[in-house]
Amino acid sequence: MIDPVAAALVAIYFIAMVGIGIWASKKIHNMSDYVVAGRSLDFWVFTFLMIGSVCSGMSLLGVSGLGYKYAWPTIWEQLAVPLSIAFCIIFFGVKMHAVAKKSGYMTVQDYLAYRFGSDKSLRGMSATAGIIVSMIYLAGQYTAISIVLMWLFGIPHWIALLIGAAIVTLYTVIGGLYAVAWTTLIQGLILILGVLIMAPIVIMAAGGFTHINEVMAAVNPTNVDPWVTGAGAVFTPEYIFSFVLLLTIGLACAPHVINNILSVKNANTFKWAPLVAFGIYAVVMFLLKFSGFAGIVLVNEGVMQLPKVPNASDFVFVYGVQAALPSMFLWGIFAVIVLAAVMSTTDRLMLTIGTYFSWDIYKKILKPDAPDKQVLLVSQISVFAAAAVTLLLAISPPDMLVWLIWAGIGIMFATFAVPMLSGLYWRRATREGALVSMALGLVASLVFGGISYFKLAKLPMHFSFYAFVIAVIAMIVVSLMTKPTSEKILDETMTGWYIQK
Amino acid sequence: MFGLPTTTIVLVGGAFLLIIIALLYWGLTFKETPS
Repeated sequence: MIDPVAAALVAIYFIAMVGIGIWASKKIHNMSDYVVAGRSLDFWVFTFLMIGSVCSGMSLLGVSGLGYKYAWPTIWEQLAVPLSIAFCIIFFGVKMHAVAKKSGYMTVQDYLAYRFGSDKSLRGMSATAGIIVSMIYLAGQYTAISIVLMWLFGIPHWIALLIGAAIVTLYTVIGGLYAVAWTTLIQGLILILGVLIMAPIVIMAAGGFTHINEVMAAVNPTNVDPWVTGAGAVFTPEYIFSFVLLLTIGLACAPHVINNILSVKNANTFKWAPLVAFGIYAVVMFLLKFSGFAGIVLVNEGVMQLPKVPNASDFVFVYGVQAALPSMFLWGIFAVIVLAAVMSTTDRLMLTIGTYFSWDIYKKILKPDAPDKQVLLVSQISVFAAAAVTLLLAISPPDMLVWLIWAGIGIMFATFAVPMLSGLYWRRATREGALVSMALGLVASLVFGGISYFKLAKLPMHFSFYAFVIAVIAMIVVSLMTKPTSEKILDETMTGWYIQK
Repeated sequence: MFGLPTTTIVLVGGAFLLIIIALLYWGLTFKETPS
């Protein structure tokens, strides 16, 4: 039965989000307003936008799920994911913001195209890879929205999906990054406060932190170790190394995260944003992981039972809350928390797809003389189209969807990290090096991803690490074999072994 | 302590503190730009 109070809470949340979208739509006069919020974001809106873009519904449910399944050896995720925000700001943000402000860049592709002197091939390849990866990610997020609405209200999957998608598409299409950033500020606050309240309740219901660790150690002594070794072990030291690298650098250069840098008003924001974002998000991530550990105790002591589905561990936080809080009203609050986490990433992903298509492909490759208003319209239509296509994917998700979402971060890591880092820091990196490195990184991540997915060979590290190494080698070898980039461009793009001069 | 082996506490706690110190250092040495 639908609880009227829980339904009212969700409805108020939805109305507030659309309200922000309508307010933001009045600020949209041109493409720059829509895509980079007129480069007007201040410290807190930017910091929360970064946290909200990285923290998805998958983080909320998947982090505790991974903790439930593999225990303490997965704890490194709690450091690596928040660190990705700091990495993005420090290693990509400071320089790129300075260059972008001078040159009026709208997307990361604008930077890549100018730094490597390749306005069509590199821009096209990079934008296409960004769109595909974002769409895969987006389909997973829509599925998460529908899981929460189905769980709370018992409505059919497709109706739940349609309601969630309609709300988020509406405010993103009309309000652009202004709406995305301001809704994310609200969503971020809901998420942080929600986890700060809900997770300790679940942990206390399991008997407290020390008791949880004691029970975990009794179930299996390696559960409380920082890593595991031996046959069949997953979180071995070498795997953890590649996992940390993947999460820290891969998420930092993800299209929906790195593009936020271009919307910052003042570079002084970068002074404390890394520490504040890391601190806030690390606390949230640790609490979520401890809730997953609490799930081990709650299941072991017979307090709760997980559903008999292949991804049962992903339900551990939801079921933990249900076991600890026997009230529909509180479940309503919990549903809003999960929806906030999902929507804060979903809207950013949709806007990224819209921008990459309208700006990088339509305006810069297909129709360079298109007026600003037309590009803005194409952007809004592509946000809508992206929502429609991913909705279809989410209504009938392919079996590989969960794997594809994980692979998405791996592909971003192998494809974008090397051209971005070498472009900013290595003066000898050339156009050909970037093209070959990006193409080989993409192909190699698909090949090694296939080997890992179909279990053709046992890979001791995450598959994306091998593709990343290939991309690094390709960048070095091809760059050294080809003509250096002009000194003028290197100086203009602030290329060199420094972050700040 | 907390039902955890010392190695786990030292490694995870140490890595956390190291990151905090590095980000604090970044903030303190960041060069302000005129707005």
